[in-house]
Amino acid sequence: MLESILSVLILGAMMSAIYALVAIGFTMIFGVGGVLNLAHGGLIMIGAYAFLVATSSSVVGAIAVPTVLGLVIATLVTAVASYVLYGGLVRYIEDNVVITFLSTVMVALLLTELIHHEFGSSPRTLLPIADGTLHLQGVGTRINYMYILGFVVSWIAIGLLWYYVSRTDEGRSILAVSMSERGAQLTGVDLESVKSRTWLIAGALAGLAGVFLGTLQTTSPEMWLNPLAIAFIIVVIGGIGSIKGSVVAAYLIGYLEQFTLEFLGTGYQGIFSLVVLVAVLLLKPEGLFGREFAHE
Amino acid sequence: MVNEDNDTIDSDGIGNDSVGRRTFLGAAGAGAVTTAFAGCLGGVDGGGGDDGTLTIGHLAPTGMAMGVGSERSAEIAVNELKAGDGVLDQEIDLITENTELSTSTTTPIVEEMINRDNVDLIVGTFNSEITQGIMDTVAEADVPFIITGSADVNTITDYHGEDYEKYKNIFRTGPINSHYQAEAMAGYAEHLSDRHGWTDFALLPEEAAWTTIFRDRLPGLLEDRDLNVVYDEVPSVQTSNFTPFLDDIESAGADAVIRFFAAGGRGQLLGDWAGEYPFAVEGVHVASMSPEFWDQSEGGCVFETTSQSGGGGVTELTGNTMDFVETYESEYTGSGQEPPSKPMYMGFNTYDAIHFYAKAAEEAGTVNYAEDLDDIVDAMLSIEYNGAAANISLAGEDADYPNDVEPTETDNGEVNYPMTQWQPTDDGGKQEVVYPVQDQSAKHMKPSWMS
Repeated sequence: MLESILSVLILGAMMSAIYALVAIGFTMIFGVGGVLNLAHGGLIMIGAYAFLVATSSSVVGAIAVPTVLGLVIATLVTAVASYVLYGGLVRYIEDNVVITFLSTVMVALLLTELIHHEFGSSPRTLLPIADGTLHLQGVGTRINYMYILGFVVSWIAIGLLWYYVSRTDEGRSILAVSMSERGAQLTGVDLESVKSRTWLIAGALAGLAGVFLGTLQTTSPEMWLNPLAIAFIIVVIGGIGSIKGSVVAAYLIGYLEQFTLEFLGTGYQGIFSLVVLVAVLLLKPEGLFGREFAHE
Repeated sequence: MVNEDNDTIDSDGIGNDSVGRRTFLGAAGAGAVTTAFAGCLGGVDGGGGDDGTLTIGHLAPTGMAMGVGSERSAEIAVNELKAGDGVLDQEIDLITENTELSTSTTTPIVEEMINRDNVDLIVGTFNSEITQGIMDTVAEADVPFIITGSADVNTITDYHGEDYEKYKNIFRTGPINSHYQAEAMAGYAEHLSDRHGWTDFALLPEEAAWTTIFRDRLPGLLEDRDLNVVYDEVPSVQTSNFTPFLDDIESAGADAVIRFFAAGGRGQLLGDWAGEYPFAVEGVHVASMSPEFWDQSEGGCVFETTSQSGGGGVTELTGNTMDFVETYESEYTGSGQEPPSKPMYMGFNTYDAIHFYAKAAEEAGTVNYAEDLDDIVDAMLSIEYNGAAANISLAGEDADYPNDVEPTETDNGEVNYPMTQWQPTDDGGKQEVVYPVQDQSAKHMKPSWMS
């Protein structure tokens, strides 16, 4: 029993860290632009496939790069893709919630078709950046080094993001826009620049999440659906637009899933997350950390 | 942190002035009624008359490698018939449709094949849900249908077993049904026990209809062979983290886990297992049947096995296996060609099914199923055909599994149910047939990290 609890604590922390990477970008974009970016899962998929193309000798053998460099490339590619998505499409339609909603769904579906066409429907395996597992004999489990790396990278990313939005002028302008666009504009904040930077950062986080999810789970043209659903659940529970809420909710969901997997079986893995989601919607619809910033 | 400036929908964003609401509803209602009447009037009575053309409808998920391999194999079979003696001097046409792994997609496709295209034969269907979803439509039309992908035994027991006369036009020429597959898998476990001394097995069938019979039968079949089932769990098809399962299998002391995975690929189990856990991974893994799986899994599939009709096309099984594989490779393998580079199991079965039907049609002297269905059924049940995957004959009406392919055995009594294993080579890895022993291209290898 003690072994199982320790296993839940350790594996839950690892998985939750990756869920946080999945959800933070999604919530940032909503917080700053009010946009429900349903292409966020697609961006995660771009991260995974960019890593595949960069590192796998079976795709474009001549340009296979070391996996660490592949992580950097995938992050940059996804960040740029997110930036282009905003600058090339969303910025022109973001005032219309329905059109934006539908357009980002269409982008996700288009990405799915493109990936399907280029790489086929078969799931692919990504080369691990850190190969092997850590055998915790006392706990009776093994932890894939990629989980550990994901945990570390996630917290580095969260720390850098926290520093950026709370300690730099550029970052604080993002925070200001998320509180009040009009107020931020009155203080001289360049709205377009802030939104573009937000999409760039969200894309980078999605790229990181894509590499870790793609390595630890499956890289396939359908891989964007589950992360998007997880991002939705986490963001609603944490409070739409709240970075802190997303981190807390990611750990709540991660631990819930790991607990049910360990003690109740895989058939129940997603059920408790949905129960919590419904409970939050009924009892605290603004989420655990909703409205954490001033709003006029 | 809610943004206040994006909470409205433009009043002119959705057309209010182009078509009136009542007009639109009226038109939509009329359209729906018209469509419904059209559907009622049409029915699914099919054609079936002899129009001088043998039209073959092929159903497969052509968005995935398995379906592409099947489509190409059907084309090869048709081209061979055209280049050879043909079938009763008929023109031969092939129509392939993508089932998209969806029953709701496949049903109207089948209706169109029967009503519009006047197909004389339907071959294919990859998964059991789709096969069973079109059984009544096909049975009503009487068009001969040969299943070449799905193996669920219920497809026979729940249909032919209940009303043979209604479903007598539906056959399966391969793969062998899941009842026989469970027996074959137990025989394979016994072979592993003989070769490596393994006695303790874990079972890990995914939560899907096709694994039910393995869940029900395999534990008993293994125990009959004095093999122990030390772990038996059913993971959800949504499972993405297999670490807890692998931990428990290791704790149970299993020598090998026999898993049955079709959904999603499940390559991630291999990523956690390879090089780490001290047991072998055996059983059925649909993704691993792909000849490209070594690259797709970045070599993570090393030492894992899967069953597959045709044995992956790596060695001669029947005397006709490699001729077919070489034809396939000459037409579809090489630079610029899309995967799969070999036919895959459904390809073998589709190829054999078309040739089998051609032989049956010659035997019956007709492809006119509307008038001569009984003659066609009699011929289907009476002939033998040495195909590329197996020597095929079908069970009769009074058998346990009527119209279903009979399993064949090798000289030493092993069911002809090829198991392939990904084995390491100097420059990567390749599939080898490791069972039945008579058909081996290489002996089964224990994972190198097992003590």
